[in-house]
Amino acid sequence: MAKSKGDGATAKTRGEAIGVITKGSLVEGLEMKLDSAQNVEDMKAGKFVVIEGDKNDFFSMVTDMRLDAKNQEVLLHPPGREDDILRKVLAGTSTYNIVSLRPMLMMPKGAVDDDGPRPVKAIPSHFSEVQEAMEHDVAKIFGKEGDPEGRYFSIGNPLDMDTQVCLDMIRFAERSNGIFGKTGTGKSFLTRLALCGLIHYDKAVNLIFDMHNEYGFKAMKENGSSSTFVKGLKQLFGERVAIFSLDPQSTRARGVQADHEVYISYDQITVEDIAPLQDELRLNPTAVESAYLVYAIYKERWLRTLLALEGPDVEEFAREIGAHAGSLVALHRKLKRLENFPFMVSKVTDGDVVDRIMEYLDKGINVVLEFGQQTSMLCYLLVANIIARRIHEMYVKKSERFYATQRTEDQPRQLMITIEEAHKFLNPTAAKQTIFGTIAREMRKYYVSLLVVDQRPSSIDDEVLSQIGTRITALLNDEKDIQAVLTGVSGTEGLRSVLASLDSKQQALILGHAVPMPVVVKTRDYDTQFYKDMGCLDDLPEAERKAKIDKGTVALYGDN
Amino acid sequence: MTRVENVKERKPSPLSRFMPDEMAKRDGAGAERTYVGEVVESSTTELIAEARELHGGPSFGEFIRIEADLPVLGIIFNVFTHSIEPNRRPTAYGKTEEELRLEQPQIFELLRTEFQALIIGYLDGGAPVQILPPQPARIHSFVHLCTDEEVRAFTGNDDYLRRILNTSKVPTDELLIAVLRHTLRAHEHSRDYLVRMGKELSRLMGDDYDRLSSVIRRVAN
Repeated sequence: MAKSKGDGATAKTRGEAIGVITKGSLVEGLEMKLDSAQNVEDMKAGKFVVIEGDKNDFFSMVTDMRLDAKNQEVLLHPPGREDDILRKVLAGTSTYNIVSLRPMLMMPKGAVDDDGPRPVKAIPSHFSEVQEAMEHDVAKIFGKEGDPEGRYFSIGNPLDMDTQVCLDMIRFAERSNGIFGKTGTGKSFLTRLALCGLIHYDKAVNLIFDMHNEYGFKAMKENGSSSTFVKGLKQLFGERVAIFSLDPQSTRARGVQADHEVYISYDQITVEDIAPLQDELRLNPTAVESAYLVYAIYKERWLRTLLALEGPDVEEFAREIGAHAGSLVALHRKLKRLENFPFMVSKVTDGDVVDRIMEYLDKGINVVLEFGQQTSMLCYLLVANIIARRIHEMYVKKSERFYATQRTEDQPRQLMITIEEAHKFLNPTAAKQTIFGTIAREMRKYYVSLLVVDQRPSSIDDEVLSQIGTRITALLNDEKDIQAVLTGVSGTEGLRSVLASLDSKQQALILGHAVPMPVVVKTRDYDTQFYKDMGCLDDLPEAERKAKIDKGTVALYGDN
Repeated sequence: MTRVENVKERKPSPLSRFMPDEMAKRDGAGAERTYVGEVVESSTTELIAEARELHGGPSFGEFIRIEADLPVLGIIFNVFTHSIEPNRRPTAYGKTEEELRLEQPQIFELLRTEFQALIIGYLDGGAPVQILPPQPARIHSFVHLCTDEEVRAFTGNDDYLRRILNTSKVPTDELLIAVLRHTLRAHEHSRDYLVRMGKELSRLMGDDYDRLSSVIRRVAN
């Protein structure tokens, strides 16, 4: 190895040699002949290895393995079960194992710390040794939690290793991100982890549309037959998280007091908010056009006016305003469903909820919007759309002001909006109509980004998918979904197999903007240790907790 | 795992009569190391030696050392007993050897045992060199059996296998098996050693899987 600082440590901490590179190409990846002393069963898809070239170290991922034989004879007359020695003799000579590797990053040997890993532009020479990656390799690439900037947040460990893989939270916050996976693979846990990272390190303020009430307070943890509860964001971060509830009764029934109850008046709903509901309400395009006609006359009172009408009056009303009677009747009939939502009121009493959310966000308080029992897709789409659209408008204004004044105090806080069932908002038709499509495309220009949580990424518009910065993906089986997740990522051949072979629990493939190379992680445990790392005092022993609080008090008020 | 250890315990193996006990006698501490034969014909690649005693030649596949400045190492690939007179063949008498020794002891004086060895290398200052010696062994030099230690030193790597496989005159596989059984014994029946040699053989024999499996099986038995 080259001579540089810290070199002594590097030399002796390299892992065990597991094989040599025999062939391959930059485009197709490399092939390693597995050392005959190694067991092929230890080579798991997604494992992290280092190829030690002459001038560079290549950080690579295991993507595939193959059993191979020098001649057919061996395969036709395999050694018997008891012929142990012959089996051993054949292993690695006549019968051998080939492991496909995909080099992800390269680093010149003896590079000093700030001269980080780079994209792969070369390949190692023949018979370069392949070694298991060690902790310092991983740290070199993914950083280590606890840096002064608070940039790195550990999300888990690489496969079969006991070291951290960190997300670069600054990079994570500045683009839209996606968390994908089949149902039951831990999407919610991954999301909660990512949100904890963002909140703990204060890299972005979050607005979470919490359809299933999983993020604010307690959430259930599925582990086979028994279910336990884990802490929600409010419990972990206290004052820094506010819970808004669309269904305060349900929230109270779960033993939580919402910080704010959400009511929406008819006047707050625009035609643009209705348009994305076409699918859910089964509206036809002319119905939306009719809605525009009503809006043209009554402006923001359009919905109130329309819903105030009763059956036969609608047709007459249609004639009055020159709309097609049939479609307006259909529109009227279908929009009547909105009246059933308890949060729809004719007049809001305690101020506009969006202004209130904005107020919180400005103060850096994260907002979880619980839907309680209002879990219908219609409700979720409608509310998320109304709120996000207005928030986005405000952010656009704020950013424009910042561009005009260029004063740092005017710089808006980075906002990340978490949406579940994202394909409902972002499918190819809806993406053009909902505000989320715009946010995903415009990205960080206006300091708003999305955290898309979804189990069906193939339904999301390609254009939106390609703009997603970091993808955290749990197990996916459907070929289309896998294809979709890998859209806009180069060199994905190998990742496909990795993605399809993830465990269904606590494993995820992370790729994109916030990590220097794709990596499979066993996700961090969401347990008391984690609560402690996030600064939650509840589970600490009394004395320790008191000491911490005292320290905080002293820091705040001085020592007396 | 047990297979090789079984080899060790299984006493009445086809060659055991020629192996450990005999060896122990010859290598025994304090016992004067005596020669087993004397070179009578010598070339770079092989030699013929006459055994000191009738029927007293070394066993097939054994390692021998010919005393010289550069001691030459070889392996026995042929042992034969014949009449001293080229034109006279022994006659069948219809009696056991013991009876014959009592009645006609002189006929045994007319017979001699000779053995042929394949030269596989030499010792340079005690260090084994797996290259044919620069000069052949000299006629009338004495032939000694190699000690286990010498065998171990010489067979620490696998180059000797190639030399055996490359000879054309002898039944190569049989010789290979015999030699491997001797080396395996010198290496204390180490299974790892056998696997290592097996891997080298696999490489040398190329595509011939049948041959390889037969050799390995017979060595391990």
